[in-house]
Amino acid sequence: MIRGLKKPAGRRALSRRRMLAVATAVGGAAPLAFPAIAQNSLRGTKLTILASNWYVPENNAQLDQLAAEVTKDTGMEVRVERLAGGELGTKVASVIATGRGGDLAVGVEFDTYLYASKLNDVTNLAGEIGGMYGGWYEVAKAACVVGNRWKSLCIGQAPAAWNYRVDQFAAAGYDKFPDSFDELLKAAKALHAKGTPIGMTLGHASGDGRSTNYPVLWAFGGKEFSEDGKTVTLDSPQTLKAVEWYAEIYKYFIPGTTAWLDPDNNQAFLAGKVSATVNVNTIYLASRAATDPARKAIADNMNHGLWPRGPAGRFANYNINVWLPFASSPNKEGQEHFLRAWYSRKFLPNWTKTGQSYFIPTFAGFEKEDVWPADPKLQIFRELNKINRLPGYSGPPTPAVAEAVSKYILVDMFAKACTGQMKPAQAVKWAAKEYEQIARKRRS
Amino acid sequence: MARSASTIASGGAAPRWRLADLLERERILGPVLVGPAVVLLLALVAYPFAVAIGYALSNRTLADPGEFVGLENFVYLFDNQIYLQTLRNTFVFTAGSVTIRVVLGVSLALLLNEVFPFRRLVRASVLLPWIVPTVLGTMAWLWMFNPNFSVINWALVHSGLMTQGLNWLTDPDLALFSVIVVNAWRGTPFFAITVLAALQAIPGELYDAAAIDGAGKLQRFRHITLPLILPVLLTALVLSIIWTFSDFGIVYGLTKGGPMNSTHVLATLSYQTGLAAGNIGEGAAISLTMLPALLVLIVWQLRRIRRSTVT
Repeated sequence: MIRGLKKPAGRRALSRRRMLAVATAVGGAAPLAFPAIAQNSLRGTKLTILASNWYVPENNAQLDQLAAEVTKDTGMEVRVERLAGGELGTKVASVIATGRGGDLAVGVEFDTYLYASKLNDVTNLAGEIGGMYGGWYEVAKAACVVGNRWKSLCIGQAPAAWNYRVDQFAAAGYDKFPDSFDELLKAAKALHAKGTPIGMTLGHASGDGRSTNYPVLWAFGGKEFSEDGKTVTLDSPQTLKAVEWYAEIYKYFIPGTTAWLDPDNNQAFLAGKVSATVNVNTIYLASRAATDPARKAIADNMNHGLWPRGPAGRFANYNINVWLPFASSPNKEGQEHFLRAWYSRKFLPNWTKTGQSYFIPTFAGFEKEDVWPADPKLQIFRELNKINRLPGYSGPPTPAVAEAVSKYILVDMFAKACTGQMKPAQAVKWAAKEYEQIARKRRS
Repeated sequence: MARSASTIASGGAAPRWRLADLLERERILGPVLVGPAVVLLLALVAYPFAVAIGYALSNRTLADPGEFVGLENFVYLFDNQIYLQTLRNTFVFTAGSVTIRVVLGVSLALLLNEVFPFRRLVRASVLLPWIVPTVLGTMAWLWMFNPNFSVINWALVHSGLMTQGLNWLTDPDLALFSVIVVNAWRGTPFFAITVLAALQAIPGELYDAAAIDGAGKLQRFRHITLPLILPVLLTALVLSIIWTFSDFGIVYGLTKGGPMNSTHVLATLSYQTGLAAGNIGEGAAISLTMLPALLVLIVWQLRRIRRSTVT
């Protein structure tokens, strides 16, 4: 453990809040980056960061560069260990179980709740950083706060939107993406009649399976749990309405969506097999960057649309990433120092802009920052940043929610009704029973 | 030895025992020889197994060591529709795959036992599905079954056999059939090569004698080939059942248990529950429910081996 960081001999004690205030007063330039106070005490220490690759390669290079800069400035050896997406979760679980193998890691939405007792309290840091950028969005608090304490810091989210073919929608009589669920259903019928159906994932796809189901459930007012996250509320008239709508629109889907895994909707859209699907902006970014004229034409002919507004509002869902500061790390000061560098004005806005709205930090103040891509087809991700919610909404993303998600219960509820395996009401009852069993087990 | 020699040379008392003398004694040599194997078995089999039982009787999660809950996990499982569906799937998956393996494996072995040009090359090629890493083979099949771009559907439609393709991984029954086919594809070469080895050990004179007696091909197979390959066939069968029953990679790679849990097998559900959801106790309990069926097979096979060794 590095000690004596706050009041090193021969230096005037400088609290983080004071440092923040001073830095903000002088124009906000690099207030949190590389505080000299930490340099001596961190020299010779090590910090291992576990991460996978973000979609935009430059974002990964920026993390590596930041690690190198922190190493140079502090003498702390910062090493970024990269793992494949699926392996990162296993590695995080291993560090949690053994207390070895890393100091800081990129986690996902449920990790904070799953591992709260094994994570350092970063409440003060969260307050300072939130203050810098106009406050955290609710979704960040939902992902990072357990029992009123911040146990992780939100990196950002990759919200999913409707990706649709402007030309095919126009041919079916729609010059913009439908803004109500009734309209979307009508559009799906018209597009199907034109031989250009839409399609959403109803298979066991860990990412897209959620992003295509939760927004429908929430928009109709359905919820898995009550606000305290303890009582199952899935079996409701609102959920039934959502399932009935899904079962109806499924009739006009491209066949095969119950077997779609995460890559399938991208492939179908890029191959021109579907006129619309739900995805993050990777389809567009890949097409826009392609050299193949046919692929480039997809980017020219597509746009993004928000989920329609339902009786209970407009919602979206997809990945959220958080920084997990392992309590087992012997280098808590190093963790904090790196996190300060990450959230510094010198680094974070630039990292965000480079990411082309693929990953967006969840700060209200970012609305006014120069972090958004100029491309008009990426503008709506700014809106999605506000309406993205976590599984379990309006309750917290508890381990019970994580278990339900990992078992694809919601996905299967919709799929069972869509394929006619069950009537909508039966499918809701089936899913509610699964949720009840999980909740009962977690309570006991 | 040098020390012993010097002791003798110096006129001191001769040592009361030497290592070589000790190893002469069966009561000592036996445990010494068996010891390393026992230690390995204890460390690599018995200990993890005991730990798994401990986990299955607890509500342990990835972050929390949990506490003893008795049979609560098992009670929960046998009241859970997804688990019961998975259990049913596992038996259908195993029975379907092993049946295909036996029929195709024996047929293939009989063909490969014949004399034909490039026989060795063909024999080596037959092993490919078994040699190729599971993930790689599964990815190829995933592409062939792809709902949007299935090459099998393309061939069926363009050859005029069908007007539209099949929903290989979309329809619940067809999806289970598809994962069975891929598992059988992967496992058949092992079956075929094992049976082929047994076929080659059958003396040719037996067939010559049977031919002289006027036995036809079917009679020769029934009265000579089958009885002589039966011990090997049964061993391969038992191994195949065990491997298939606990298979993970093919189902996880193709469907992740979907659609609607129609292809979930115990290994994939155990992974999903234990690691993806972090519920280690329940995940271990799911794994352990494979034990009774496998135990019956293993005990039967061990008794059979013991009988054949004694005789």
